Amino acid sequence: MPDVQELVSDLVLKLKRRRIEGSHACAKLTAELLRQVVSHQRVPYTNQAAALVDAVKAVGEKLISANPVELAVGNIVSRVLHIIREEDIALTSSALEGLGFSAGSDDDDSHAERDDHHVGSSPAVVAAAARSTLRAPSLHTLLEGIPDSASVRYPSSSGGDSEGKSRSDKSSRTRKLKHAAIEAINELISDIDTCHEQISEQAVEHIHQNEVIMTLGRSRTVKEFLCAAKEKNRSYRVFVAEGAPRYQGHVLAKELVAKGLQATVITDSAVFAMISRVNMVIVGAHAIMANGGVMAPVGLNMVALAAQKHAVPFVVVAGSHKLCPLYPHNPEVLLNELKSPSELLDFGEFSDCMDFGSRNGAPLLHVVNPAFDYVPPKLVSLFITETGGYNPSYMYRLIADYYSADDVVIQQRKSGSGN
Amino acid sequence: MWKRSASFVLDNRPQQSAGGGGAREQTLAAAAATAVSGYYQTRAEHHVLVSEDWLEQAEEAACGRGESEAAAGRGKGGGAFDVIDEFNFWRKKPDLAEAVAAIMALSVVIRSSEATTMMELEIELKKASDALKSSDLTSISLSAGCDLFTRYVTRTKALEYEDFDAAKSHLIERGEKFGELSLRARRIIAMLTQDFIFDGCTILVHGFSRVVLEALRMAAMNRKIFRVLCTEGRPDSTGVRVAKELGEVGIPAKLLIDSAVAYAMDEVDMVFVGADGVVESGGIINMMGTYQTALVAHSMNKPVYVAAECYKFARLYPLDQKDLAPALRPIDFGVAVPAGAEVETTARDYTPPQYLTLLFTDLGVLTPSAVSDELIKLYL
Repeated sequence: MPDVQELVSDLVLKLKRRRIEGSHACAKLTAELLRQVVSHQRVPYTNQAAALVDAVKAVGEKLISANPVELAVGNIVSRVLHIIREEDIALTSSALEGLGFSAGSDDDDSHAERDDHHVGSSPAVVAAAARSTLRAPSLHTLLEGIPDSASVRYPSSSGGDSEGKSRSDKSSRTRKLKHAAIEAINELISDIDTCHEQISEQAVEHIHQNEVIMTLGRSRTVKEFLCAAKEKNRSYRVFVAEGAPRYQGHVLAKELVAKGLQATVITDSAVFAMISRVNMVIVGAHAIMANGGVMAPVGLNMVALAAQKHAVPFVVVAGSHKLCPLYPHNPEVLLNELKSPSELLDFGEFSDCMDFGSRNGAPLLHVVNPAFDYVPPKLVSLFITETGGYNPSYMYRLIADYYSADDVVIQQRKSGSGN
Repeated sequence: MWKRSASFVLDNRPQQSAGGGGAREQTLAAAAATAVSGYYQTRAEHHVLVSEDWLEQAEEAACGRGESEAAAGRGKGGGAFDVIDEFNFWRKKPDLAEAVAAIMALSVVIRSSEATTMMELEIELKKASDALKSSDLTSISLSAGCDLFTRYVTRTKALEYEDFDAAKSHLIERGEKFGELSLRARRIIAMLTQDFIFDGCTILVHGFSRVVLEALRMAAMNRKIFRVLCTEGRPDSTGVRVAKELGEVGIPAKLLIDSAVAYAMDEVDMVFVGADGVVESGGIINMMGTYQTALVAHSMNKPVYVAAECYKFARLYPLDQKDLAPALRPIDFGVAVPAGAEVETTARDYTPPQYLTLLFTDLGVLTPSAVSDELIKLYL
């Protein structure tokens, strides 16, 4: 256990000092850390899922508050919580079914009545009800029942099979839950690892011969997407806006040329001038919000507006770890980060304007270097994730698949107070 | 008078063939004579006595098991039991939502039914719900409530229960609990909206909606500082009532005449409306003037938020404004209307989904396109 604590504080420190670049790395490190947390967590005989959920939540809270702007961390924490809940319910329902088969009918009747208010309902019904609590509520489950928050939250890991089961049997179940959760987290990690390949597999469907593509700055997902199309022998041209103030576009242009692609570097201010020649804009993202809006590197809102003005499709490529279940409230301020002004100006260059001695000690010149732009959903034509292409208005569906409603709310409250 | 879309015709066909035609014509004639939509009549009646304790009242109504027993007794004693009377009984309860009243009435149908199989029960229920729906064609949440409940009954597998009686009592229980559920829904929606109301914002409210009021009240309770602009809401003066309610909880409110919406829009941060019904396209049907408010908000890039419980989701797909049965109501112009001048007396309009930003429902915060998704999931 102490070594896990050490790992946690190590990652917290790294996040606080912004030593980890990019949401991909953050997501992966978070997932790996949470795997450690789950595997080292001692679980009691009863309510194992609750113990795991609490442990993950405690660590997650620390990580999120270390860098509230890096939404990928929170996303992974919620995903892991969702995984644990799902595995628990899968195990419970399979256990209940087994019970139903082995025990006599009157016996299992008594179970159902004690556990649940469903009069005379079969284990299948109970399991279905438990499963439905995980899903987001929907119209057709509206009448099914009013979940009593206490009894439903951790459905019956302790209740259903408490009698007639030996101790060893239970400890094997404990191990089973932990094992299953770790397995699923491993899957999540490998998903994060392979998301670039899976996204770039779809490149040929979107990029056609002799097209002109525009992008801004440098995103690894975009680079692999473009290279994958090239590898399938599509020949096309790429306009790369340089992405001031970090000029990562220069790096991308070099990488593309090395792969044999024809690249043109333009300044950010030339985007409007060049957009009329472009067939498609493909960019990366920092995070995708629940309403389909995008937190993206600074400058992309302008590109999106230019694309809309000339009816050019604006395509965002992003792995599903960037999918965030929160709605953006005042994103330009709350979800943004101000970087060092040294990226804009060399030290000492404007020192005569920054005279702290004059007036009341406030300099006349301010330098603001925001890291992100918010692109509203109506400017985005398509999202390409590893599972395919989606409309912005479809994002809520993916979020319902990846996250359980409970975790979203908890996280929301947290980030609200954190900001 | 008004056109019907293909979907509308299709929806009505089975009930016409069921032989309820005569009764319907009668009610239609009655409606034409008074020229007032039943839905708006009850709304007006309720809102005269709207007070802060609507919650308790409704809670009482929802939990008043004794009353529903009595109602069942009434149904049985009379022999020929009328679902419409039952519905009107529930509908009279102030601040019990229309859909809830419908579901209450239908669960009484189940209670008093003598059916011995699930199929019989379904047919009986279908007849009752058709009768209910045709008693007031203008109420969208009534038909949505009926559809939701019949659908639920169809989906409930009697096989999951030991016998028919168990299934039946389960259905009745669920139906009668629905009142509670609707109260919970309002609280959930109010909670969801809290993140969207920020300090220092100005909210434009059009129409009187209990959900919107609950949301604003909760925001005030959470010590959010904001102000509300209320449109007057001619001819029912809904805005005056909203302003009064808001004043009681200390939220600063300002009244506007309906035609001042565009004038005031530049100081507004968000538009907040309720809905009579949410249709399959994701658009809403709401009090007259919602459409123009949403249009103005859209053209000035202000978000339009809708608060609606999910039992208001209706299987309608209006193609334009005239595509719905018009809910009529008298309009007092204050001056004599010149002879020969026509008066538009429709009470509501349809706001297409592209002018709405988000819907707050008890299913969560939804984009307009998610509404059809939910409806498809239900009717698949």
